[in-house]
Amino acid sequence: MSVEAGRERPSPLDALRRGGGPGPVAVVGVIVLVLVVAALIHNFVEAPQAFINVSLIGLSTGAVYALVALGYTLVYGILQLINFAHGDVFALSGLISSSIMIDVLHLSGGETAVVIVAGLAATLAMTMAGAATLNASIEFLAYRRLRGQPRLTMLISAVGMSFIVQNIALAIYDVNYQSAPPLLPSGAVFTVGNVSLQWDKLTVILVTIPVLILLTWLVRATKQGKAMRATAQDQDAAAMMGINVNRTITFTFVLAGALAGAAGVLFLLQFQMRYDTGFELGLIAFTAAVLGGIGNLAGAALGGLLIGFIQAYNEGLAHWTLGGDWTRSMVFGILIAILVFRPEGLLGERTPEGV
Amino acid sequence: MSEQAPETGAAPAEQPREERRARPGGNGVILEVADIHTYYGSIHALKGITLEVREGEIVTLIGANGAGKSTTLRSINGLNHPRRGAIRFQGKDITNEAPHRIVGMGVAQSPEGRKLFPRMSVLENLEMGAFQRTDRGGVREDLDRVYGLFPRLNERKSQKAGTLSGGEQQMVAMGRALMARPKLLMLDEPSMGLAPIFVERIFDIVREINKQGTPILLVEQNALMALDVASRGYVMETGHIALTDDAKVLARNEQVRKTYLGEE
Repeated sequence: MSVEAGRERPSPLDALRRGGGPGPVAVVGVIVLVLVVAALIHNFVEAPQAFINVSLIGLSTGAVYALVALGYTLVYGILQLINFAHGDVFALSGLISSSIMIDVLHLSGGETAVVIVAGLAATLAMTMAGAATLNASIEFLAYRRLRGQPRLTMLISAVGMSFIVQNIALAIYDVNYQSAPPLLPSGAVFTVGNVSLQWDKLTVILVTIPVLILLTWLVRATKQGKAMRATAQDQDAAAMMGINVNRTITFTFVLAGALAGAAGVLFLLQFQMRYDTGFELGLIAFTAAVLGGIGNLAGAALGGLLIGFIQAYNEGLAHWTLGGDWTRSMVFGILIAILVFRPEGLLGERTPEGV
Repeated sequence: MSEQAPETGAAPAEQPREERRARPGGNGVILEVADIHTYYGSIHALKGITLEVREGEIVTLIGANGAGKSTTLRSINGLNHPRRGAIRFQGKDITNEAPHRIVGMGVAQSPEGRKLFPRMSVLENLEMGAFQRTDRGGVREDLDRVYGLFPRLNERKSQKAGTLSGGEQQMVAMGRALMARPKLLMLDEPSMGLAPIFVERIFDIVREINKQGTPILLVEQNALMALDVASRGYVMETGHIALTDDAKVLARNEQVRKTYLGEE
């Protein structure tokens, strides 16, 4: 026992012995962080109500990023694959949801509140089911047979699937932007002073929170979730425990697809989409997943929200910001910085055996 | 009697014949591996392996590194199907069965290198072993049984498996396999990398598990220890069974000594 205790204690001592103080990278990091916090405080003091409005925008875009990022992280966790097709599944499902709303359910925005809520729920359910099916099919067609091969093989297959899904979207919807019918009232749900919560933002929050709770329950508490965690940690060992590994991987792609489908609907309610919307958003969501720690579910949600806030603050605040032209550079700068300095992400843990 | 004989022969026509084939001479053969050829990619790893395990036995498979011992186990548990030959478990053909179905039939394994779930606790690892079981009471009993065999695991049940010592990890791997309440237990190199005192204890426990009624197929590099606990043994050499006999006889065999010591 005393040996064990001794083994754990030296770590802070080690840090002191090794560094003697924080390195230059940490100094730069702290300076950047201090500047960011100072800018946020400055903006909040100058215009508190605008600050809160911008924060709400960050929350609602961040929620969409989080949902897509969760799909990347789920698949990465179980196959160590960056599923490049994921962003395109998101975009195609968003486009399909516009068809569901307009052509299948014939929603135009003039209906009663009950019809609109039911219509949105039906759209969400159908889109999630469709995206789940699409994602599981991609796994079956493009990844399953390559499982024993070097990782690069599957990665290239994923890039190929990305183009295929994107071109399916192009073939169906051409290069035109699609949008949702004006289902949600354009005004605010409520306004306090100049702070107002828009209906689309409220919808995003009302959908995202139960979806995240459901996902957490599925992964933490169900037998299928246990099978997922075991398969993620060691596929052969999971098979030896009697877990149906193929079914577990399919289930993971179903979950990831359903999340992308939900994100597609929520994105379409706020913005226009077309066949290539998934490319950039996919990269941003992937950055979010890496920022939080790829493979870590809470990390993906946190990373998505953080990037949503960063984007909103950069584009929406009046003082001391770089402005919208710099958003992409900032987001992908974060990706590079994380990959170089903290590849395990904010919440990821360094696993002892590199698992 | 003379009247009944043709009737019983006619009714369950196929089944008893299968049973009889699976249990030659009433010896209760539970696992039968017949001339299997297994490949790793294009490498011909197993070139015709034939072996059997009977009820109540400890059978050991010994041989040098790379002889194909682990591949044999991977063929049996369905992770690497043989291209030729047949594997029967309790008379049923499992040659091309999926791994999770083979586990469901009652074949459990403690794999080489333990293969624990490092980020799960000891208890969660043990519970994973009982993944397919729905009899909660029985699982509870088996958990107590595993804690009885390995009291150390009870003390460490909430610790992450990745943080345990090698010996403790081996205990978890064996306990986890037992949680399936297997009809056949396969142990792959349970003594690998352990201190001699741990090796002794692991083999004591192998004996104890067998005494409680579970037949064991034991793969080992530590041939002398393995032959000491086993009733029969097979010696493997580069994809072949070079030799098979009673464990006591093998232990005295000149050739076995050479194989065990790695001399050519």
